[in-house]
Amino acid sequence: MAALSTASILPVGLLAAYGLARYRGPGKGLIETVLSLPLVLPPTAVGIVLLELFARRGPLGSWLSALGLDVVFTAKGVVLATAVMSFPLLVRSARTAFEEVDARLVGMARTLGAGPVAAFFRVTLPLAWRGVLAGVVLAFSRALGEFGATIMVAGSIPGRTRTLALAIFHANQTGRDDRALALAGITAGLAFVALWTVELVTRRRDRRGGA
Amino acid sequence: MIELRLALPLARFALEVEARLEAAVTAIMGASGSGKTSLLEAVAGLRPAARGRIVVSGEVLLDTATGQRLAPERRRIGYVPQDAGLFPHLTALGNVRFGARGDAARVEQAIDTLEIRACLSRHPDSLSGGERQRVALARALATEPRLLLLDEPLAALDTGLRGRIVPYLLRIRDEWRVPILYVTHNVGEALALAGEVLLLEAGRVAAQGPPLRLLSSPALARGADEGIENLWPARVVSHDARAGITKMETSAGLPVAVTLLAAHPIGARVTLALRAEDVLVSTEALRGLSARNMYEARIESVESAGPDVTLRLTVSGAALLARVTPQAVEALGLAAGGQVYLAVKSHSVRVL
Repeated sequence: MAALSTASILPVGLLAAYGLARYRGPGKGLIETVLSLPLVLPPTAVGIVLLELFARRGPLGSWLSALGLDVVFTAKGVVLATAVMSFPLLVRSARTAFEEVDARLVGMARTLGAGPVAAFFRVTLPLAWRGVLAGVVLAFSRALGEFGATIMVAGSIPGRTRTLALAIFHANQTGRDDRALALAGITAGLAFVALWTVELVTRRRDRRGGA
Repeated sequence: MIELRLALPLARFALEVEARLEAAVTAIMGASGSGKTSLLEAVAGLRPAARGRIVVSGEVLLDTATGQRLAPERRRIGYVPQDAGLFPHLTALGNVRFGARGDAARVEQAIDTLEIRACLSRHPDSLSGGERQRVALARALATEPRLLLLDEPLAALDTGLRGRIVPYLLRIRDEWRVPILYVTHNVGEALALAGEVLLLEAGRVAAQGPPLRLLSSPALARGADEGIENLWPARVVSHDARAGITKMETSAGLPVAVTLLAAHPIGARVTLALRAEDVLVSTEALRGLSARNMYEARIESVESAGPDVTLRLTVSGAALLARVTPQAVEALGLAAGGQVYLAVKSHSVRVL
């Protein structure tokens, strides 16, 4: 679920980050603030807003359910909730990375015949990949650990919408602390593998003198 | 042929340039902050605020009157900024290939022209300043540009190093036949490379014309204090180990003897540099001198530049510059049309 939600926010997140990094016009601060709101709001507050929006009779939910898409209390709800919660982390980290790429190098790529899209994939992204990767891992970890918004939107239905974080709480509530600890261990293991991989990859690139 | 009619607001003034440039190489000169780099960026298409009309070799790149504005990637203009602008995540080869779109023959040709084969596998941060400039030049050439824009190559480095880029620029000018707009502070370089100088002052064209004619303008005269050099593409004719000299011939047919350079094979192409102040001028035939190069020359013009006087001379058709003091001009009665004798020590001629 966490991987799916991270994958789903990647294209939009990178686009938003790149847009923010290059955009200099009015309202930049406002847009950034709105995008960062899920970071500072209590997750349950975000959850209730999403629940109302996407409920079968909600403004977005009624439209989606006409298309046969039910979000609330389904696995899709988990993806939605974790995606909204981790989106700002990806955007902030990627934006900083994009801002550090010299805009003149992008200009050079353009004079060498690369269109805006090609310049992004051949110059900006390769130069900013460290920050983007860090953002992806942060977003993934956040999605892995998200609790408040997920339980509001998706509930905690065993086998359907019960994420690791929810399962830990549930196990503890039902007096199965051993199970809760085991699940916590799995969570820690997943997060560790993700962070350690990033660490290894970045370090190898350093030694080669690339990037 | 390049037609420019450009308006671009800058921080302290507006760039307003109107010019037709027909020389193979045009040097763009002027004090720091006079708009030289902005002009290049506008031509390359990197300044969206630029208005007016830009036509290069019949192709309209910009015409705000008709709403035409080619994106930078469609202008086919090779731009080499001051810091070379290499991509740090790619090797030198990756950089040269970046814009070539798989045209391997062009890439090879560019690599040979700039002599960068030895550093192709390295990343920009491990290249010297000169190598970086040459890689950036090769990268621009490999895209088959219709115009090259060079922003003061190697200005940050000392004059000795700077001299080394000039042979490559001469080669590009003479062999690739790509028109070049070349920003420089160095009067010697402008004289050696450019058929025309565009002098900018606070965003406007203060003067335009052949470099020598502009020598007397105050802005250029200041630059001339750094020294004026004769720069000639030449080839090795023969070595004479016993006499300790190597004979060269410039592309204009001037024979030049330099100190023995046995390492250069016969026929090898080199660039010769001779400082204008190292040319000895006499009104009488020279005899009994140790100098190995003696010429009979005609004075084409006498130009005051800064504290010194620059003589434009021709030796059987080949152009040569000499610098003397105003006192020498007076004492020898040097004037345009006069006949003089020149002496140049073989040690004074450097091979770049």
